Amino acid sequence: MNRLEQLARAPVAAVDYANIILTQGDAPVGTTPKDVVWTHRKTTLYRYRSTRRTHPLPLLLVFALINRPAIFDLRPGNSFVEFLLDEGYDVFLLDWGVPDEEDADMGLENYVCDELPWGIRETLRASGQEELSLLGWCIGGALVAMYGALEPSGPARNLVLLTTPVDTSGSLYRSWVGRESFDVDYIAEKLPAVPGPGIDVVNKMMKPVQNYWITYRQLWHNVLEGTARREAYQAMASWVADNPPFPSRAYREWITVMYKQNKLPTGRLRLRDRRVDLRNLEQNLLVVTAGADHIAPRDGTLPLLDLASSEDVTHFDRKGGHIGLMAGSRAKQEIWPDIAEWLESRSSA
Amino acid sequence: MSDRPDPAAEMQRLYDEAERGTAAALERLVSRDAFGEVLAKSAENVLAVQKLGSDLADMVVRNLRIAGRRDVTSLARQLARTEDKLERVLQEVERLQDELRASQASQNGAKQDKRVTSQ
Repeated sequence: MNRLEQLARAPVAAVDYANIILTQGDAPVGTTPKDVVWTHRKTTLYRYRSTRRTHPLPLLLVFALINRPAIFDLRPGNSFVEFLLDEGYDVFLLDWGVPDEEDADMGLENYVCDELPWGIRETLRASGQEELSLLGWCIGGALVAMYGALEPSGPARNLVLLTTPVDTSGSLYRSWVGRESFDVDYIAEKLPAVPGPGIDVVNKMMKPVQNYWITYRQLWHNVLEGTARREAYQAMASWVADNPPFPSRAYREWITVMYKQNKLPTGRLRLRDRRVDLRNLEQNLLVVTAGADHIAPRDGTLPLLDLASSEDVTHFDRKGGHIGLMAGSRAKQEIWPDIAEWLESRSSA
Repeated sequence: MSDRPDPAAEMQRLYDEAERGTAAALERLVSRDAFGEVLAKSAENVLAVQKLGSDLADMVVRNLRIAGRRDVTSLARQLARTEDKLERVLQEVERLQDELRASQASQNGAKQDKRVTSQ
Protein backbone atom coordinates (compact mmCIF):
# COMPACT_ATOMS: atom_id res chain seq x y z
CA MET A 1 0.00 0.00 0.00
CA ASN A 2 1.54 3.31 -1.07
CA ARG A 3 1.42 6.52 0.95
CA LEU A 4 -1.51 7.94 -0.98
CA GLU A 5 -3.55 4.81 -0.45
CA GLN A 6 -2.65 4.87 3.24
CA LEU A 7 -3.79 8.48 3.49
CA ALA A 8 -7.06 7.68 1.77
CA ARG A 9 -7.64 4.75 4.10
CA ALA A 10 -6.70 6.61 7.27
CA PRO A 11 -10.21 7.87 8.25
CA VAL A 12 -11.73 4.38 7.96
CA ALA A 13 -8.73 2.89 9.72
CA ALA A 14 -9.08 5.44 12.54
CA VAL A 15 -12.69 4.38 13.14
CA ASP A 16 -11.72 0.71 13.02
CA TYR A 17 -8.76 1.32 15.37
CA ALA A 18 -10.94 3.18 17.87
CA ASN A 19 -13.50 0.39 17.68
CA ILE A 20 -10.88 -2.28 18.42
CA ILE A 21 -9.59 -0.34 21.42
CA LEU A 22 -13.01 0.64 22.77
CA THR A 23 -14.56 -2.83 22.50
CA GLN A 24 -11.56 -4.86 23.67
CA GLY A 25 -13.16 -5.39 27.06
CA ASP A 26 -16.01 -7.25 25.38
CA ALA A 27 -13.71 -9.80 23.76
CA PRO A 28 -14.67 -13.29 24.92
CA VAL A 29 -11.80 -15.03 26.74
CA GLY A 30 -11.78 -18.40 28.50
CA THR A 31 -14.82 -19.74 26.67
CA THR A 32 -14.11 -23.48 26.63
CA PRO A 33 -17.03 -25.15 28.48
CA LYS A 34 -16.18 -26.16 32.02
CA ASP A 35 -17.94 -27.24 35.20
CA VAL A 36 -17.43 -26.07 38.75
CA VAL A 37 -16.13 -28.96 40.85
CA TRP A 38 -15.40 -27.22 44.14
CA THR A 39 -15.25 -23.74 45.63
CA HIS A 40 -13.75 -22.29 48.76
CA ARG A 41 -13.88 -18.57 49.42
CA LYS A 42 -12.70 -17.03 46.13
CA THR A 43 -11.01 -20.18 44.84
CA THR A 44 -12.85 -22.31 42.28
CA LEU A 45 -11.82 -25.64 40.83
CA TYR A 46 -13.07 -26.18 37.28
CA ARG A 47 -13.05 -29.29 35.12
CA TYR A 48 -13.15 -28.78 31.37
CA ARG A 49 -15.72 -30.82 29.51
CA SER A 50 -14.34 -33.46 27.21
CA THR A 51 -15.51 -36.61 25.48
CA ARG A 52 -12.05 -37.81 24.57
CA ARG A 53 -10.08 -38.28 27.77
CA THR A 54 -7.43 -40.81 26.88
CA HIS A 55 -4.73 -40.09 29.49
CA PRO A 56 -5.79 -41.32 32.93
CA LEU A 57 -3.71 -38.83 34.95
CA PRO A 58 -5.59 -35.55 35.42
CA LEU A 59 -3.76 -32.30 34.79
CA LEU A 60 -4.35 -29.39 37.17
CA LEU A 61 -3.51 -25.90 35.90
CA VAL A 62 -2.44 -23.26 38.41
CA PHE A 63 -1.91 -19.64 37.45
CA ALA A 64 -0.44 -16.61 39.19
CA LEU A 65 -2.11 -14.43 41.79
CA ILE A 66 -1.88 -11.46 39.42
CA ASN A 67 -3.92 -11.61 36.19
CA ARG A 68 -6.59 -14.20 35.56
CA PRO A 69 -6.07 -17.81 34.47
CA ALA A 70 -8.07 -17.20 31.28
CA ILE A 71 -4.68 -16.99 29.55
CA PHE A 72 -4.72 -20.82 29.57
CA ASP A 73 -7.85 -20.63 27.44
CA LEU A 74 -7.39 -17.34 25.62
CA ARG A 75 -9.68 -17.71 22.61
CA PRO A 76 -11.06 -20.47 20.40
CA GLY A 77 -8.33 -21.62 18.05
CA ASN A 78 -5.58 -20.32 20.31
CA SER A 79 -6.28 -22.01 23.61
CA PHE A 80 -3.84 -24.20 25.54
CA VAL A 81 -6.80 -25.85 27.28
CA GLU A 82 -8.46 -26.61 23.94
CA PHE A 83 -5.18 -28.10 22.74
CA LEU A 84 -4.81 -30.29 25.84
CA LEU A 85 -8.40 -31.52 25.54
CA ASP A 86 -7.77 -32.42 21.90
CA GLU A 87 -4.71 -34.34 23.04
CA GLY A 88 -6.90 -36.36 25.40
CA TYR A 89 -6.03 -34.84 28.77
CA ASP A 90 -8.42 -34.52 31.67
CA VAL A 91 -7.92 -30.83 32.40
CA PHE A 92 -8.72 -29.06 35.66
CA LEU A 93 -8.12 -25.42 36.52
CA LEU A 94 -7.61 -23.93 39.97
CA ASP A 95 -8.83 -20.34 39.69
CA TRP A 96 -7.86 -18.07 42.61
CA GLY A 97 -10.79 -15.80 41.74
CA VAL A 98 -10.90 -12.08 42.41
CA PRO A 99 -9.86 -11.47 46.02
CA ASP A 100 -10.97 -8.33 47.78
CA GLU A 101 -10.45 -6.59 51.11
CA GLU A 102 -12.06 -9.44 53.05
CA ASP A 103 -9.28 -11.72 51.79
CA ALA A 104 -6.50 -9.62 53.30
CA ASP A 105 -5.70 -12.53 55.63
CA MET A 106 -4.84 -14.86 52.74
CA GLY A 107 -1.11 -15.51 52.88
CA LEU A 108 1.19 -17.73 50.87
CA GLU A 109 0.62 -20.56 53.35
CA ASN A 110 -3.12 -20.41 52.67
CA TYR A 111 -2.50 -20.86 48.96
CA VAL A 112 0.25 -23.49 49.24
CA CYS A 113 -0.93 -25.44 52.29
CA ASP A 114 -4.73 -25.13 51.96
CA GLU A 115 -6.19 -24.06 48.63
CA LEU A 116 -3.77 -26.00 46.44
CA PRO A 117 -3.88 -29.32 48.37
CA TRP A 118 -7.64 -29.05 48.71
CA GLY A 119 -7.95 -28.39 44.99
CA ILE A 120 -5.73 -31.42 44.37
CA ARG A 121 -7.88 -33.55 46.66
CA GLU A 122 -11.02 -32.54 44.78
CA THR A 123 -9.32 -33.11 41.40
CA LEU A 124 -8.40 -36.65 42.44
CA ARG A 125 -11.87 -37.28 43.76
CA ALA A 126 -13.54 -36.00 40.56
CA SER A 127 -11.20 -37.93 38.27
CA GLY A 128 -11.09 -41.11 40.35
CA GLN A 129 -7.29 -41.17 40.21
CA GLU A 130 -4.67 -41.33 42.94
CA GLU A 131 -2.09 -39.14 41.23
CA LEU A 132 -2.06 -36.08 39.01
CA SER A 133 0.12 -33.66 37.06
CA LEU A 134 0.46 -30.05 38.18
CA LEU A 135 1.20 -27.25 35.76
CA GLY A 136 2.05 -23.87 37.26
CA TRP A 137 2.80 -20.65 35.43
CA CYS A 138 4.66 -17.62 36.84
CA ILE A 139 3.71 -17.20 40.53
CA GLY A 140 1.54 -20.26 40.03
CA GLY A 141 4.71 -22.17 39.16
CA ALA A 142 6.37 -20.98 42.36
CA LEU A 143 3.32 -22.03 44.40
CA VAL A 144 3.38 -25.46 42.73
CA ALA A 145 7.13 -25.79 43.40
CA MET A 146 6.58 -24.86 47.06
CA TYR A 147 3.81 -27.43 47.34
CA GLY A 148 5.95 -30.06 45.60
CA ALA A 149 8.81 -29.39 48.01
CA LEU A 150 6.51 -29.71 51.01
CA GLU A 151 4.83 -32.88 49.71
CA PRO A 152 7.47 -34.83 47.77
CA SER A 153 5.62 -38.09 48.28
CA GLY A 154 2.20 -36.53 47.72
CA PRO A 155 -0.15 -37.23 44.84
CA ALA A 156 1.65 -34.97 42.34
CA ARG A 157 3.57 -37.24 39.96
CA ASN A 158 4.58 -34.60 37.42
CA LEU A 159 5.35 -30.91 37.88
CA VAL A 160 5.42 -28.56 34.91
CA LEU A 161 6.76 -25.13 35.81
CA LEU A 162 6.43 -22.39 33.22
CA THR A 163 8.45 -19.14 33.46
CA THR A 164 8.68 -19.52 37.22
CA PRO A 165 10.65 -17.11 39.39
CA VAL A 166 12.93 -18.96 41.80
CA ASP A 167 16.12 -16.95 42.38
CA THR A 168 15.36 -13.25 41.95
CA SER A 169 18.88 -11.93 42.48
CA GLY A 170 19.88 -9.57 39.69
CA SER A 171 16.33 -9.09 38.40
CA LEU A 172 14.94 -5.64 37.62
CA TYR A 173 11.89 -6.32 39.73
CA ARG A 174 14.14 -6.99 42.71
CA SER A 175 15.98 -3.72 42.19
CA TRP A 176 12.60 -1.96 42.46
CA VAL A 177 10.72 -3.77 45.20
CA GLY A 178 13.61 -5.52 46.94
CA ARG A 179 15.22 -2.25 48.05
CA GLU A 180 14.81 -1.06 51.62
CA SER A 181 13.03 2.15 50.60
CA PHE A 182 10.20 0.12 49.06
CA ASP A 183 8.15 -0.29 52.23
CA VAL A 184 6.01 -3.32 51.49
CA ASP A 185 4.74 -3.40 55.08
CA TYR A 186 3.34 0.11 54.71
CA ILE A 187 1.59 -0.87 51.48
CA ALA A 188 0.15 -4.06 52.93
CA GLU A 189 -0.97 -2.25 56.04
CA LYS A 190 -2.75 0.51 54.14
CA LEU A 191 -4.25 -1.65 51.39
CA PRO A 192 -6.08 -4.83 52.42
CA ALA A 193 -6.11 -5.78 48.73
CA VAL A 194 -3.32 -4.34 46.58
CA PRO A 195 -5.02 -3.12 43.38
CA GLY A 196 -4.15 -5.18 40.33
CA PRO A 197 -3.87 -2.19 37.98
CA GLY A 198 -1.14 -0.76 40.26
CA ILE A 199 0.88 -3.96 39.93
CA ASP A 200 0.21 -3.96 36.21
CA VAL A 201 1.60 -0.43 35.82
CA VAL A 202 4.80 -1.47 37.59
CA ASN A 203 5.14 -4.56 35.37
CA LYS A 204 4.60 -2.47 32.25
CA MET A 205 7.15 0.09 33.38
CA MET A 206 9.84 -2.54 32.85
CA LYS A 207 9.46 -2.00 29.11
CA PRO A 208 7.66 1.34 28.95
CA VAL A 209 7.98 2.11 25.26
CA GLN A 210 7.01 -1.41 24.22
CA ASN A 211 3.98 -1.53 26.51
CA TYR A 212 2.71 2.03 26.30
CA TRP A 213 3.57 2.95 22.72
CA ILE A 214 4.77 0.22 20.37
CA THR A 215 1.81 -2.08 21.07
CA TYR A 216 -0.64 0.63 20.00
CA ARG A 217 1.52 1.91 17.16
CA GLN A 218 1.81 -1.62 15.76
CA LEU A 219 -1.93 -2.09 16.01
CA TRP A 220 -2.48 1.17 14.11
CA HIS A 221 -0.02 0.06 11.45
CA ASN A 222 -1.78 -3.28 11.06
CA VAL A 223 -5.22 -1.68 10.91
CA LEU A 224 -4.00 0.74 8.27
CA GLU A 225 -2.52 -2.12 6.26
CA GLY A 226 -5.67 -4.18 6.73
CA THR A 227 -3.72 -6.97 8.43
CA ALA A 228 -4.89 -6.45 12.03
CA ARG A 229 -5.97 -9.64 13.78
CA ARG A 230 -8.82 -8.16 15.72
CA GLU A 231 -9.76 -11.23 17.80
CA ALA A 232 -6.17 -11.99 18.71
CA TYR A 233 -5.39 -8.43 19.77
CA GLN A 234 -8.61 -7.94 21.71
CA ALA A 235 -8.40 -11.24 23.55
CA MET A 236 -4.83 -10.57 24.69
CA ALA A 237 -5.49 -6.90 25.52
CA SER A 238 -8.60 -7.84 27.45
CA TRP A 239 -6.68 -10.43 29.44
CA VAL A 240 -3.78 -8.04 30.12
CA ALA A 241 -6.19 -5.42 31.45
CA ASP A 242 -7.93 -7.85 33.81
CA ASN A 243 -5.90 -7.47 37.00
CA PRO A 244 -7.40 -8.86 40.19
CA PRO A 245 -6.26 -7.42 43.51
CA PHE A 246 -3.42 -9.15 45.38
CA PRO A 247 -4.42 -10.01 48.99
CA SER A 248 -2.21 -7.82 51.15
CA ARG A 249 -0.75 -10.58 53.29
CA ALA A 250 0.17 -12.70 50.28
CA TYR A 251 1.60 -9.59 48.58
CA ARG A 252 3.73 -8.68 51.58
CA GLU A 253 4.99 -12.26 51.91
CA TRP A 254 5.65 -12.65 48.18
CA ILE A 255 7.67 -9.43 47.94
CA THR A 256 9.52 -10.10 51.19
CA VAL A 257 10.26 -13.77 50.65
CA MET A 258 11.05 -13.62 46.95
CA TYR A 259 12.54 -10.18 46.37
CA LYS A 260 13.76 -8.75 49.65
CA GLN A 261 15.13 -11.95 51.20
CA ASN A 262 15.30 -14.32 48.21
CA LYS A 263 14.45 -17.25 50.46
CA LEU A 264 13.18 -19.78 47.92
CA PRO A 265 16.49 -20.90 46.37
CA THR A 266 18.23 -21.03 49.74
CA GLY A 267 15.59 -23.21 51.39
CA ARG A 268 14.96 -20.67 54.15
CA LEU A 269 11.28 -20.16 53.41
CA ARG A 270 8.97 -21.61 56.04
CA LEU A 271 5.24 -22.16 55.62
CA ARG A 272 3.20 -23.38 58.61
CA ASP A 273 6.45 -24.09 60.41
CA ARG A 274 7.60 -26.38 57.62
CA ARG A 275 10.70 -25.62 55.63
CA VAL A 276 10.18 -25.24 51.91
CA ASP A 277 13.35 -26.76 50.51
CA LEU A 278 13.36 -27.16 46.74
CA ARG A 279 15.94 -29.93 47.19
CA ASN A 280 13.01 -32.04 48.38
CA LEU A 281 11.42 -31.97 44.92
CA GLU A 282 11.28 -35.58 43.77
CA GLN A 283 8.51 -35.43 41.19
CA ASN A 284 9.13 -35.69 37.46
CA LEU A 285 9.99 -32.12 36.61
CA LEU A 286 9.61 -30.08 33.44
CA VAL A 287 10.95 -26.53 33.60
CA VAL A 288 10.14 -24.14 30.76
CA THR A 289 11.99 -20.86 30.40
CA ALA A 290 11.66 -18.01 27.88
CA GLY A 291 14.77 -16.29 26.56
CA ALA A 292 13.19 -12.82 26.48
CA ASP A 293 11.35 -13.08 29.79
CA HIS A 294 11.94 -9.85 31.74
CA ILE A 295 9.44 -10.62 34.53
CA ALA A 296 10.83 -14.03 35.56
CA PRO A 297 14.20 -13.97 33.79
CA ARG A 298 15.53 -17.28 32.57
CA ASP A 299 18.62 -17.07 34.81
CA GLY A 300 16.39 -16.83 37.84
CA THR A 301 14.65 -20.11 37.05
CA LEU A 302 17.70 -22.18 36.15
CA PRO A 303 18.87 -22.80 39.76
CA LEU A 304 15.80 -24.99 40.12
CA LEU A 305 17.35 -27.53 37.76
CA ASP A 306 20.26 -28.03 40.14
CA LEU A 307 18.27 -27.79 43.33
CA ALA A 308 15.58 -30.38 42.56
CA SER A 309 16.36 -33.97 43.61
CA SER A 310 14.07 -35.36 40.91
CA GLU A 311 15.58 -38.13 38.82
CA ASP A 312 13.56 -37.04 35.79
CA VAL A 313 14.28 -33.38 35.03
CA THR A 314 13.67 -31.77 31.63
CA HIS A 315 14.33 -28.20 30.61
CA PHE A 316 12.81 -26.50 27.56
CA ASP A 317 14.37 -23.16 26.78
CA ARG A 318 12.47 -21.28 24.10
CA LYS A 319 12.38 -17.89 22.47
CA GLY A 320 9.66 -15.53 23.60
CA GLY A 321 8.54 -13.50 26.56
CA HIS A 322 6.94 -14.26 29.89
CA ILE A 323 3.45 -14.61 28.43
CA GLY A 324 4.09 -14.72 24.69
CA LEU A 325 5.92 -18.03 25.08
CA MET A 326 2.70 -19.85 25.98
CA ALA A 327 0.01 -17.57 24.58
CA GLY A 328 1.63 -16.14 21.46
CA SER A 329 0.60 -17.10 17.96
CA ARG A 330 3.51 -19.56 17.62
CA ALA A 331 2.94 -21.35 20.93
CA LYS A 332 0.59 -23.87 19.33
CA GLN A 333 3.36 -25.09 17.05
CA GLU A 334 6.43 -24.45 19.18
CA ILE A 335 5.82 -25.26 22.83
CA TRP A 336 2.40 -26.83 23.45
CA PRO A 337 3.15 -30.04 21.52
CA ASP A 338 6.44 -30.45 23.43
CA ILE A 339 4.69 -30.10 26.78
CA ALA A 340 1.96 -32.53 25.73
CA GLU A 341 4.56 -35.03 24.55
CA TRP A 342 6.49 -34.75 27.82
CA LEU A 343 3.30 -35.33 29.79
CA GLU A 344 2.09 -38.18 27.59
CA SER A 345 4.80 -40.64 28.58
CA ARG A 346 4.27 -39.77 32.24
CA SER A 347 0.48 -39.81 32.38
CA SER A 348 -0.40 -43.50 32.37
CA ALA A 349 -2.40 -44.93 35.26
CA MET B 1 17.80 9.44 -9.94
CA SER B 2 17.16 5.91 -8.72
CA ASP B 3 19.99 6.28 -6.16
CA ARG B 4 18.07 8.97 -4.30
CA PRO B 5 16.29 7.44 -1.29
CA ASP B 6 12.52 7.59 -1.11
CA PRO B 7 11.76 10.41 1.39
CA ALA B 8 8.91 8.44 2.97
CA ALA B 9 11.10 5.37 3.43
CA GLU B 10 13.86 7.54 4.84
CA MET B 11 11.42 9.11 7.28
CA GLN B 12 10.24 5.66 8.33
CA ARG B 13 13.82 4.54 8.86
CA LEU B 14 14.55 7.57 11.01
CA TYR B 15 11.39 7.02 13.01
CA ASP B 16 12.18 3.32 13.63
CA GLU B 17 15.66 4.27 14.72
CA ALA B 18 14.32 6.91 17.11
CA GLU B 19 11.78 4.49 18.54
CA ARG B 20 14.38 1.80 19.13
CA GLY B 21 16.71 4.33 20.70
CA THR B 22 14.00 5.70 22.99
CA ALA B 23 12.94 2.20 24.07
CA ALA B 24 16.52 1.25 24.92
CA ALA B 25 17.16 4.55 26.72
CA LEU B 26 14.01 4.27 28.83
CA GLU B 27 14.80 0.65 29.70
CA ARG B 28 18.22 1.80 30.89
CA LEU B 29 16.58 4.60 32.83
CA VAL B 30 14.11 2.36 34.66
CA SER B 31 16.88 -0.03 35.64
CA ARG B 32 18.77 2.72 37.49
CA ASP B 33 18.78 2.89 41.28
CA ALA B 34 17.42 6.42 41.26
CA PHE B 35 14.35 5.28 39.33
CA GLY B 36 13.76 2.52 41.88
CA GLU B 37 13.90 5.11 44.68
CA VAL B 38 11.44 7.40 42.90
CA LEU B 39 9.12 4.49 42.20
CA ALA B 40 9.17 3.37 45.84
CA LYS B 41 8.40 6.86 47.16
CA SER B 42 5.78 7.52 44.47
CA ALA B 43 4.00 4.29 45.37
CA GLU B 44 3.82 5.41 49.00
CA ASN B 45 2.57 8.85 48.03
CA VAL B 46 -0.14 7.53 45.74
CA LEU B 47 -1.17 5.11 48.43
CA ALA B 48 -1.34 7.75 51.14
CA VAL B 49 -3.50 10.03 48.98
CA GLN B 50 -5.77 7.15 48.01
CA LYS B 51 -6.11 6.12 51.64
CA LEU B 52 -7.07 9.65 52.66
CA GLY B 53 -9.73 9.79 49.95
CA SER B 54 -11.04 6.36 50.81
CA ASP B 55 -11.26 7.12 54.55
CA LEU B 56 -13.03 10.39 53.86
CA ALA B 57 -15.56 8.74 51.54
CA ASP B 58 -16.18 6.02 54.10
CA MET B 59 -16.71 8.59 56.83
CA VAL B 60 -19.27 10.48 54.73
CA VAL B 61 -21.17 7.29 53.92
CA ARG B 62 -21.20 6.15 57.54
CA ASN B 63 -22.40 9.53 58.74
CA LEU B 64 -25.30 9.14 56.35
CA ARG B 65 -26.12 5.98 58.32
CA ILE B 66 -25.43 3.81 55.29
CA ALA B 67 -23.21 0.73 55.43
CA GLY B 68 -19.79 1.77 54.16
CA ARG B 69 -17.07 -0.24 52.52
CA ARG B 70 -15.58 -1.08 55.89
CA ASP B 71 -18.88 -2.55 57.10
CA VAL B 72 -19.32 -4.62 53.95
CA THR B 73 -15.75 -5.89 54.22
CA SER B 74 -16.28 -6.80 57.85
CA LEU B 75 -19.38 -8.82 56.94
CA ALA B 76 -17.54 -10.50 54.06
CA ARG B 77 -14.71 -11.41 56.45
CA GLN B 78 -17.15 -13.09 58.79
CA LEU B 79 -18.57 -15.03 55.85
CA ALA B 80 -15.07 -16.07 54.79
CA ARG B 81 -14.26 -17.27 58.31
CA THR B 82 -17.50 -19.26 58.39
CA GLU B 83 -16.65 -20.80 55.02
CA ASP B 84 -13.19 -21.74 56.35
CA LYS B 85 -14.78 -23.52 59.29
CA LEU B 86 -17.35 -25.22 57.08
CA GLU B 87 -14.64 -26.50 54.75
CA ARG B 88 -12.74 -27.99 57.68
CA VAL B 89 -15.91 -29.57 59.10
CA LEU B 90 -16.66 -31.06 55.67
CA GLN B 91 -13.16 -32.47 55.48
CA GLU B 92 -13.56 -33.99 58.94
CA VAL B 93 -16.93 -35.51 57.97
CA GLU B 94 -15.39 -36.96 54.81
CA ARG B 95 -12.48 -38.37 56.81
CA LEU B 96 -14.89 -40.02 59.26
CA GLN B 97 -16.97 -41.37 56.35
CA ASP B 98 -13.84 -42.89 54.82
CA GLU B 99 -12.91 -44.39 58.19
CA LEU B 100 -16.42 -45.79 58.63
CA ARG B 101 -16.38 -47.27 55.12
CA ALA B 102 -12.99 -48.85 55.76
CA SER B 103 -14.06 -50.34 59.06
CA GLN B 104 -17.34 -51.62 57.53
CA ALA B 105 -15.38 -53.17 54.69
CA SER B 106 -13.00 -54.90 57.08
CA GLN B 107 -15.97 -56.15 59.18
CA ASN B 108 -17.70 -57.49 56.05
CA GLY B 109 -14.47 -59.13 55.02
CA ALA B 110 -14.17 -60.80 58.41
CA LYS B 111 -17.79 -62.02 58.20
CA GLN B 112 -17.23 -63.40 54.72
CA ASP B 113 -14.12 -65.20 55.91
CA LYS B 114 -16.15 -66.66 58.77
CA ARG B 115 -18.86 -67.95 56.43
CA VAL B 116 -16.29 -69.54 54.20
CA THR B 117 -14.65 -71.39 57.11
CA SER B 118 -18.02 -72.62 58.46
CA GLN B 119 -19.01 -74.25 55.14
